[in-house]
Amino acid sequence: MKSVQLPDMDQPASDATAHRLNYSDGLSRVVYTTENELPYPDGKLIVSRVDLDGIITHANDAFVDISGYSRDELIGAPHHILRHPQMPKAAFKDLWQTVEAGKKWHGYVKNLCKDGSYYWVYATAVPNIRHGETVGYTSVRRKPSRSKIAQAEALYRKMLEEQA
Amino acid sequence: MTINLLIAPDFAPERFAGWHMLNTLLQKKSGIHIHLLTPASAHEQNDLIQAQNVDIIYANPFDAATMIREQGYRAVARPLGKSDEMVIAAKADSGIVALDDLKVGCTIAMADNRDVKLIGLRLLEAVDLLEADITWKVTETYQAAARNLIKGEADAAFFLSEVYDSLSRLTLSQMQVLIESDLSDISHVLLVKESFADSEPFIDALLSLKDTAEGEQVLQELGMSDGFEPMTQEDGEFMIDLMDTLLD
Repeated sequence: MKSVQLPDMDQPASDATAHRLNYSDGLSRVVYTTENELPYPDGKLIVSRVDLDGIITHANDAFVDISGYSRDELIGAPHHILRHPQMPKAAFKDLWQTVEAGKKWHGYVKNLCKDGSYYWVYATAVPNIRHGETVGYTSVRRKPSRSKIAQAEALYRKMLEEQA
Repeated sequence: MTINLLIAPDFAPERFAGWHMLNTLLQKKSGIHIHLLTPASAHEQNDLIQAQNVDIIYANPFDAATMIREQGYRAVARPLGKSDEMVIAAKADSGIVALDDLKVGCTIAMADNRDVKLIGLRLLEAVDLLEADITWKVTETYQAAARNLIKGEADAAFFLSEVYDSLSRLTLSQMQVLIESDLSDISHVLLVKESFADSEPFIDALLSLKDTAEGEQVLQELGMSDGFEPMTQEDGEFMIDLMDTLLD
């Protein structure tokens, strides 16, 4: 498995909280979060693809726009560049186990932007199967409802407490 | 040699002449005799595919997935800059001005189009409306769906964006758009049956339409002024993976 070390995030100018995130590949970095939520872009899908190592190989315009990163910064970066510290590790473990088993995964995800802002999505990830072999994964996000976000927030808070 | 070219039934009515013009021009450019099939419904489309040897299909994206994965077709081209989008509209003076105003038990009118319904349902998820929460009023045409809406017989209506934009000014003035999809990556695709060995002259003729004034005119009639671009097998597979995520 290929690992790519992401640099620590730049500290945003606004009030931000620092966190050290430890990723499953053993690497870690400092990220900053703020309370600024970005609205999901109406009518759009946010689409990305990764290779078998979780490295981003494709990002559509909506993905690039909301992330705050340039396309060049995203392509070649590990997908956990979006990881928000308020997402429990178990959610991503479940995602990877599901798609590596060749199945479709759905879930509500809080994503982190380059400036520490966040946005919620309803994500669906599928394996890209070509000639019977998985060659990568596609993730497509849609706009979640506020009631589902509230449910997910409560669940993830509980999972994070158990994780601690 | 005669081949069958089938056009998916969800094009706007005023494009009908354009498809016949395209057929005539492609025959002239490729030297292949082409029999144009224009089924009126998804049901009729399926019957034609089952009953005849359909060599080439201009397919909507969701049907294309099945055709590529299960029926031996491959994607070779798609219209450039012309993605399949849909509109959810309400009556202009109904008090429904945003998706949030649609509630459980609301009535939605639409023509029988699986793609439009699927995309519309994905947009309604954001306001906690699921398929079973809605009373569906399936109409013969999109124009009939618009009439239903204007008469107050439905709370909202689903349209293919291209068809919505082609409605008369009077009809449009009596409706308002609640949301329009902007999916970008999903479009109709031109599929060729794997067993159709001599497809190259046809594909070449299609991809070079923009090179002549005659071809430009046909593209204008079809509302595809940027012409067609070639698709690789991976382009087709990528779109199918994307659509797979929208199914549930």
